[in-house]
Amino acid sequence: MTKPTLAVHKFSSCDGCQLALLNLGEPLLELTGLIDILHFAEAGPLDESAQVDIALIEGSVSTSHDIDRLNRIRNNSTYLVTIGACATSGGIQALRNMANTDEWIADIYANPSVIDSLDNSTPIKQHVNVDLELWGCPITQHQILTAVRSLLFGVLPVDEHDKVCMECKRQQHVCVMVTKSEPCMGPVTRTGCGALCPAIGRDCYGCFGPSENPNTHALANRLQGFGLTNNEIARRFLFINSGSEQFHQEGSRWKT
Amino acid sequence: MPTETIKINVPVLARVEGEGALDLTIENNQITDLKLRIYEPPRYFEKFLEGRNYYDVPDTVARICGICPVAYQMSATHALESIFGVEISPWLHAMRRLFYCGEWLQSHSLHIHLLAAPDFLGFNSVIEMSAKYGDEVRRGLKLQAIGNDLVTLFGARSVHPVGVKVGGFSHAPSLEETSPLLQRVTDAKQDAVDLIHWLDSLGLPDDKQDFVSVALQHDDEYPFNEGRLVSDNGLDIPISDFENHFKEMHVEQSTALHCLLDGKPYLVGPLARINLNAAQLPTEVRQVMRGLKTQFPSNNMFHSIIARAIEIYFALVEAERLLSNYEPTDQPCMDVTIKAGTGYGCTEAPRGILWHRYDVDADGCISKAVIVPPTSQNQPRIEQDLKDSLIHFGLDQPKADLQLHAEKVIRNYDPCISCATHFLDLKLVRDGISENTSTTFSHADLSATAIIGIGSPNSGDELGWQMIDRLSEKEKFVQHKQQGLTLLKLDRPGIALGEAISPYEHVLIIDALKPEETSQPFVCIHAEQLTPAPGNLSSHATGVPESIALLASLDQLPAQLAVIGIADCKDEFIEKITSLF
Repeated sequence: MTKPTLAVHKFSSCDGCQLALLNLGEPLLELTGLIDILHFAEAGPLDESAQVDIALIEGSVSTSHDIDRLNRIRNNSTYLVTIGACATSGGIQALRNMANTDEWIADIYANPSVIDSLDNSTPIKQHVNVDLELWGCPITQHQILTAVRSLLFGVLPVDEHDKVCMECKRQQHVCVMVTKSEPCMGPVTRTGCGALCPAIGRDCYGCFGPSENPNTHALANRLQGFGLTNNEIARRFLFINSGSEQFHQEGSRWKT
Repeated sequence: MPTETIKINVPVLARVEGEGALDLTIENNQITDLKLRIYEPPRYFEKFLEGRNYYDVPDTVARICGICPVAYQMSATHALESIFGVEISPWLHAMRRLFYCGEWLQSHSLHIHLLAAPDFLGFNSVIEMSAKYGDEVRRGLKLQAIGNDLVTLFGARSVHPVGVKVGGFSHAPSLEETSPLLQRVTDAKQDAVDLIHWLDSLGLPDDKQDFVSVALQHDDEYPFNEGRLVSDNGLDIPISDFENHFKEMHVEQSTALHCLLDGKPYLVGPLARINLNAAQLPTEVRQVMRGLKTQFPSNNMFHSIIARAIEIYFALVEAERLLSNYEPTDQPCMDVTIKAGTGYGCTEAPRGILWHRYDVDADGCISKAVIVPPTSQNQPRIEQDLKDSLIHFGLDQPKADLQLHAEKVIRNYDPCISCATHFLDLKLVRDGISENTSTTFSHADLSATAIIGIGSPNSGDELGWQMIDRLSEKEKFVQHKQQGLTLLKLDRPGIALGEAISPYEHVLIIDALKPEETSQPFVCIHAEQLTPAPGNLSSHATGVPESIALLASLDQLPAQLAVIGIADCKDEFIEKITSLF
């Protein structure tokens, strides 16, 4: 019997989510016993146009030729899975969507005409159908293994979209917002990281994106109560996942 | 003397973090053009830092590179602390070194085992290599895991750690957390020594070159976070003086901002560090180095893999020292008082010096940021090295060997493409044509695949048809036809081409080249590369490129469409086309 196949594709990103695979250690070798990895440029195998059962996509769409490449990948794959904030919401580089990119380019590069860069950094789902989204900056090893395992069984994994607060409470951490007035994003942020930030005594900064039903406006009002300026409140939402609808809306409301 | 042109185009360079590509043109046994192209699109970190609060900076710059986030966080915090006049406690100084040990261990182990060693041992990937070198791969994964866990100790995770603040760390780990790590670090020291000896015995190429090494240097320690910038050519400056000696330039039609020292390429990274700072390594590390075939300082770039292994051993020895003396503190973070000003930070990322400069206003917001990553500093050196080492290797070598050697040379620098904040995505239309045999139909469903020869029986335009005839004779294609593959002859492109293509998902078009427009006898082009620059193929009134552009505008292109232009029906070309299936 032939093994199921997998490809890892990279768009605009920091490569950190691919490390969820490369940092697996021994389980990486086990994984290659279950599936054939046909394309994973960072790890060696190269066959970008291979037909695969699962295509993992890291990074956002940010240049003119990305869209064609993405369409080809979609046509070649049964399941298309976005891994990480860039692929899922446009990533930190989506901050440019609210700026004048031409001015930025001219500021950095002496020869702007050679730069191929779209004005916006957009998530994969804006261009092709996505079967599964893994949120997180970066995603965790647990997320990727659960996803691949579930897909091998022919089902989608359970979408964990609780708030970070739920996980934080389960771990019995002292609330940094209540006790230290930290501008914690936990009440509106998707779980999955393991409540890492409050566990070490700092505020969550929303790197896993919006949770289910995030009450962003109530949180923003609370942050105002802590004395944050309007722009400081805006920047809480307009950070790693500024391209997500809920964070974008709330951030834009406060940005002056 | 006949002119021979070899063009090598490596579309995606495997096992370079991020994705790059190399163009090489050889004419008359001389390199006439050599460019390392980088696919990482600009992400504008320096621009979107503007206007953000200083306390957002560590979490922002970590995202520049998933492989060396610690380096970005350390250069940034030191730069900002210098503006605010923060005095770092001995505890913090020590623990930031420990934190950095983790990143070197992780990054160097990843590079050696997953990216570089497969090259030297002749495997395509670590997955293949692990079948024969299972113990070595497992040893590498173990060292990498210790590195990740050292970063996690302070950062709560190894990629984009969350524990770093301007002023220090969010928390101090407990002894319950540090003790088991100390044990693992101590146990792994022998693994690192074995790793060094293993690499020393590999028989790396002998390729001495003339280059300048640049690194931080500190009176009391092997450099991580502090020191002066020195070179083996007499440079000795404070980091704040960087911009007076090093210049970043956006080279015309180039792929990246190149950074030059007094106008010349230079080397940063593990080999440069060891060349300049071996005297600062602990005695037990220097003892191991004395017993090696490979001696430092070295001007052979292939020794950088051994330099990395030595730094792995150093990181373990240093981590053992720091963990043995570890005591938790109740002040893991210094107090910070906001002040306006300009500050500089330079630390030794795994790949070499990472220089930051920030201008901060009175509210503590960033008004300007400049980030010079190691890979943009090494890029001119890589190109220079490629020119020298490929000549040394022999420009008359077969293309596949030249390509592999070039990739090995590039990998010596461990270029981290995504961490080069300035790397550009240069538009790739060179005459609309590049020799590019990366296309493959090996996974295509044959019943949905067609090879279409364009031409006519007339002389001068018969090549497309001739090739179809020749391919039809091949045993492989006889079999493929039985499985549903279609071979077609078409007398002209235009609308007819659209009709011919429409039943198929995968299409390969073969057409004659206009000899006056190209010096290359065989080209393979993906449809989307072809459309922007029509006019290179055949002399049909409505040429293949126009037809494809038309189909594209009607959204009628198949999932996979490639065009091969041939100037001849040579056996070599027949083999090339056969190998695509």
